[in-house]
Amino acid sequence: MKKTVLFAAFALATALCAQVDKPIEMPYVDYPIVKGDHDEVVQQYCLICHSWGYVLNQGKKSRPYWTGTVQKMVNEFKAPIGKEDQQIIINYLVKHYGYESKTAEH
Amino acid sequence: MSQFNRRHFLGAGFILGASSLFGKENPKKIITDSKEFVPPQIAFPQKKPLKTISDRPPLLESPRDIFTQAITPNDQFFVRWHMPDIPTYIDLKEFRLEVKGSVETPLSLSVDDLKAKFEPVEITSVLQCGGNSRKYYAASGQATHGVQWDHGAMGCAVWKGVRLKDLLERAGVKGSAKWVGVNGLEKPAMDATPKFFREMNIDEALSGELIVAYEMNGEDLPYLNGFPLRLVIPGHFSDSWVKMLSEITVFDEYQNSFFMDVAYTVPDNDCECVVSGSDFEYKRKPIAVMKVKSVIGYPTPGTVIKKGSRVKVTGIAFDQGKGIKEVMISIDGGKHWSATQLEKDYGKYAYRQWTYQWEPKTKGEYTIMVRAINRIGNIQPLAHEIGWNAGGYQYNAVDAVSVKIV
Repeated sequence: MKKTVLFAAFALATALCAQVDKPIEMPYVDYPIVKGDHDEVVQQYCLICHSWGYVLNQGKKSRPYWTGTVQKMVNEFKAPIGKEDQQIIINYLVKHYGYESKTAEH
Repeated sequence: MSQFNRRHFLGAGFILGASSLFGKENPKKIITDSKEFVPPQIAFPQKKPLKTISDRPPLLESPRDIFTQAITPNDQFFVRWHMPDIPTYIDLKEFRLEVKGSVETPLSLSVDDLKAKFEPVEITSVLQCGGNSRKYYAASGQATHGVQWDHGAMGCAVWKGVRLKDLLERAGVKGSAKWVGVNGLEKPAMDATPKFFREMNIDEALSGELIVAYEMNGEDLPYLNGFPLRLVIPGHFSDSWVKMLSEITVFDEYQNSFFMDVAYTVPDNDCECVVSGSDFEYKRKPIAVMKVKSVIGYPTPGTVIKKGSRVKVTGIAFDQGKGIKEVMISIDGGKHWSATQLEKDYGKYAYRQWTYQWEPKTKGEYTIMVRAINRIGNIQPLAHEIGWNAGGYQYNAVDAVSVKIV
């Protein structure tokens, strides 16, 4: 009896100390994504490196903002997005997660 | 359009700024978003449910009421990774920290080696993301790029580990060495993406204050806070506190890299600021030491309090390591200021908790504000005075919380 209790205590202690003795399981978050306007193209590229939470966290942004952001992904982070698909992504983001601003039409 | 594309690859700041400078349009109108997305509260491994801005890479924010404590519990400590590919298992039998490059004897050390062969040291220090509180730039000027953190991308913990200096001296830094690069095990999704890499001057690395930590608040580092090792740089923003630290490389020459030269930079001038709304077209320097700051932990915004209650208003203050001299409080939106009481001193790099007894006698809306000053006279700017930068780094303006007395 005593032995069992000791063993249980030992097992518990081991579990507490060796916090990561087995792989951690990262939760997957199903962030809401507006469908349509080629969202499949948007998802295909944007989700290579980051969750949709990154987009939602920005709030609604102007066309120049989203254009700049997509270009940053291509130029700085080397996202392999062709010119045409870049435009699809920008248009989608402006329509569903942004707005057209007058000041952008220079 | 092509001109715009070329000049403003990182965003629309310049155009928005130009319109506000010339008074054509109120910048607040542009940036306001009425339908703000509220991220879910999710429990990640070893964590209580936290505001999950992103799951991949994980971006988890601590709640405001965490600032009622001088030491942040590990299970509520914020999380911020840069790359999506983070190992989900580390075998300590296999794991090694490499110290290499311009050294006499390269080292390959297990965590047990660190614990057994080097003097353990402990320091209580604030860890704050350079972009912490970034969303408040939008309240006083233009919204900035980057993750729109509230105040919850910071915490304070007791870090235990070994001095970086001791590791470098054991390896024997060559006379030609000028820079020390650090990186961990996180990886980008694609080979072409710049790897997360940080660099510091050799003198800073040898200062004796930096530690390679294996414990946080008396436990192994939580997995998402960098298990098994992370660099600790007291007084500095967290961008170089590399998690899952695996390589320390000594260089004779500075290594150009995206994460030093582009990300985590501010304007290279005295105020480290530019006209609100400017784009990134300025000479940059990496962010480094933190600025004096205080935050209210209780009450939280929108709290309803009964008239005549005895309210213990409390929060934390800290700076770059000079030490907090005083935290002033106003309960009338900044018209009158009184002193708060400073609580236990955990060291010059730690949070200094402050408290103030308040007994509201009249019903109505109140705006509580706090303002810290450190021992060398650095004082927090008011929200409308803060210098702006396009990356939204180093926000440290006076915190304000509105409550209702009924």
